[in-house]
Amino acid sequence: MAVFWMMDYLALALILVCAGLVVRLRNLNGAVMALSGVGAFSALLFVVLGAPDDAHSEIVVGAIALPVLYLVAIGKARAEVHDSGELDEQPRTRP
Amino acid sequence: MKAVIVIALACVGLGFSLSGAVGILRMPDLYCRIQCSSKTTTMGALPALIALVVGEGVLSSYASRALLTAFLLLLLNPASSHALARAAYKSGVPMWDGAVRDEAAEARHRREQRRRERRRDGSGQED
Amino acid sequence: MRTVYGAIAFAEIAIGVLLVVRMAIGPTVADRIVALNTVCTQAALSVLFYAAYADRSIYLDVALWFASFSYLGSVVFARYLERELL
Repeated sequence: MAVFWMMDYLALALILVCAGLVVRLRNLNGAVMALSGVGAFSALLFVVLGAPDDAHSEIVVGAIALPVLYLVAIGKARAEVHDSGELDEQPRTRP
Repeated sequence: MKAVIVIALACVGLGFSLSGAVGILRMPDLYCRIQCSSKTTTMGALPALIALVVGEGVLSSYASRALLTAFLLLLLNPASSHALARAAYKSGVPMWDGAVRDEAAEARHRREQRRRERRRDGSGQED
Repeated sequence: MRTVYGAIAFAEIAIGVLLVVRMAIGPTVADRIVALNTVCTQAALSVLFYAAYADRSIYLDVALWFASFSYLGSVVFARYLERELL
């Protein structure tokens, strides 16, 4: 029983950390990766809580489909950015 | 006896997974981190899965799923690592300052030089 | 024996804490994708050992989904980095 509670609290803590990263990161693509991490950890939490069917749909939707949707939306919204330092991204060295 | 083998294999797997995670945390640039990531998969996941197979017996549902997961990880993870490294190189992620060789850039340079020489020879024959 | 499986499951996912730190401080997007891929691998292992701990063989399929969909997500995100997804 102790393993159940330990994995429960660890998965909850990791979900909270990833969700905080989604809010706090200024690099938008990095925030989307943290959102995918939220999906993966919540799928693990569903397995620990005894709902593997929800874990299936959470992996497909929360870890893959929703971040890809966000990436497409972000890529279409800001196709041209002149000052990439504002977005906290690395400068592009090679063409 | 079986428990000892399971614990030993799992400790090997956990040790390699931990060292791979520390490598991902501490390595200086992206390409070294990708190498540490594949080390985690190959040497960290496989002993743990073999530990599960040994512990539950080969003819059980756990062992079959563990072997299938091992096959999937061995097949798919190098492909994803390669795709990621290629995309990162193409999109211009900088290398570590201490890196000594960039063989992709050298090969591209040689290819362009050869093409330039061929074009010059072709134009010379036309004259 | 079941306690050993539970301890292994907990240790495998506890390694994910280090990877979340890399996801927080990674300077480029590709660093975060590497951390995410490794997190998915560790989660697959953890789910396998948790299934052996809880003695429920229906949890095992989630590990297969983790293993295959970490590949799919990594390839799709890499395509996005190459600006070929749009």
